[in-house]
Amino acid sequence: MQEKQFGAHSSSAIIAVDRISKTFPNGVTALNDFSTTIRRSEVVVVIGPSGSGKSTFLRCLNGLEEIDSGSIIVDGIALDDNKKNRLEIRKEVGMVFQQFNLFPHMTVRDNINLAQQLVRKKTKAEATEMTMDLLRKVNITEKADAFPAQLSGGQQQRVAIARALAMMPKVMLFDEATSALDPEMIGEVLEVMKTLAREGMTMVVVTHEMGFAREVSDQVIFMENGKIVEVGTAEHFFYQPREERTRIFLSQILS
Amino acid sequence: MRKKPKLTPLDAVIALLISALLGYIGYRINIGLQYKWNWGAIPQYLFRLDTATGNWTANLLMQGLLTTIRLSIWATLIATIIGTIAGFFRVSSSLFKRLLGRTFVELIRNTPPLVLIFIFYFFVSDQIMPVLGVDDFARNASETTQSLLTFFFAPPRFFSAFISATMTVAIFEAAYITEIIRAGIQSIEKGQFEAAYALGLSWRQKMQHVILPQAIQRILPPLAGQFISTIKDSAIVSVISIPELCFQGMELMAATYLTFECWITITVLYLVLTLSLSLAVERLEIFMRRSSV
Ligand SMILES: Nc1ncnc2c1ncn2[C@@H]1O[C@H](COP(=O)(O)OP(=O)(O)O)[C@@H](O)[C@H]1O
Ligand SMILES: [Mg+2]
Repeated sequence: MQEKQFGAHSSSAIIAVDRISKTFPNGVTALNDFSTTIRRSEVVVVIGPSGSGKSTFLRCLNGLEEIDSGSIIVDGIALDDNKKNRLEIRKEVGMVFQQFNLFPHMTVRDNINLAQQLVRKKTKAEATEMTMDLLRKVNITEKADAFPAQLSGGQQQRVAIARALAMMPKVMLFDEATSALDPEMIGEVLEVMKTLAREGMTMVVVTHEMGFAREVSDQVIFMENGKIVEVGTAEHFFYQPREERTRIFLSQILS
Repeated sequence: MRKKPKLTPLDAVIALLISALLGYIGYRINIGLQYKWNWGAIPQYLFRLDTATGNWTANLLMQGLLTTIRLSIWATLIATIIGTIAGFFRVSSSLFKRLLGRTFVELIRNTPPLVLIFIFYFFVSDQIMPVLGVDDFARNASETTQSLLTFFFAPPRFFSAFISATMTVAIFEAAYITEIIRAGIQSIEKGQFEAAYALGLSWRQKMQHVILPQAIQRILPPLAGQFISTIKDSAIVSVISIPELCFQGMELMAATYLTFECWITITVLYLVLTLSLSLAVERLEIFMRRSSV
């Protein structure tokens, strides 16, 4: 990994997932006895066929889905029924969605200001200052007063990343952040994500972009049917995948 | 290109049939019933010249219309408050609240309105109004308060009855508004709730800043439509002697025997009110749709 800014304790775990299972009310088991550890400043890429439970895993990490059994600890806080704990974790874990989910009735600036003011209790001026910094970072300052509908998909997703970053999260979750984008816009969003990775942000990224995995990931998790099939570095996956299923999957997405 | 309206043969046949039917009804009334039309008697019941002051004032029917309007406005306001609370219950994460909301809606929507009116009215007017001292308050209020009460609600002598009837209609309409609010909230994409959650917003902040501002555009037009329904539904309180338009009509009919003139006039009064509001709601819908893109 290249120059990491806050990579000092890169060996300590920030997310500990221990034997979690999740079955939806319709009887589909999306996660089956799933365990993993994510260290500070690590970039973890999660790959797997559609319906393998990647989104469910990510959504469990900030409590968007309830787990049936097992435990999740984020930065020392247990993600349990305790509402205060959950709120604390929601504040520390940012999430970027496939469909962007910007608030359509607010300008770009207000989208990014909102949680800073409501949750971090900043004044409007303080929030706006940070918002403008973040817009510079994702390269879209000129759209501060625009509404989401006036932006391209790539621009919307960069704003959504800025909005999540505005909470100063310790972990960022990306659920197929580039899957809904036109091909010519994928690059600009991946660039922002790569920059974040290089700065030492802890990231869990569900993606089919193997180029991204190769460039910045520390760990790749291949899952199927709610279970981890194989874990390793991107190099490991490219040159010497152990499992037959991994090979088949990779040959499909790389072709 | 707009098509020129063209009368097809079928349209002509239908028009002919309708005029024939209307003609026959008119014929039956005039010839069969030997009905003596007396439209001249009606205007005085709309407005009358107050000989003491020399001003024209609202008479029986107009007073009834005004009471209908007042009752409908207050009932809709109260129903909106109850319906909003119950609507939030309907989408709550707590099973108990969802059950409560659902029970309220189903109970009211599956009971004949007339039965509800009797139950609510006698309970509210017998048990609740005396406890609140509404009657005494209205009767003993100062003259200015009394004239204000008369203007916004009803004259002191039937103020308490008016409030009871309003509450009754409000609870009834609230069940429908509950569903409007629920549908409005549930029409917002799941992703909006999830984004707000992931950003650390509390339930209240999420509703206030993210969900409701979007839902309101989808709630307002049907809510305005419900107001129109309330105007029509309010006629039912004539059975508990609230002098709204329908009740005044019955009084007038009993006094004059001008059955058709009286009910046609009342129909027209209701129509003028509801049709103009319908047009306004249509405008509102178009405006909302435009401003939402
Ligand atoms: N809310 C839900 N209700 C019922 N089944 C669900 C729900 N969400 C996901 N699933 C099912 O759980 C499985 C895993 O889904 P998901 O985590 O979205 O997979 P992935 O993101 O890897 O495509 C799938 O079979 C999916 O149909
Ligand atoms: Mg998914």
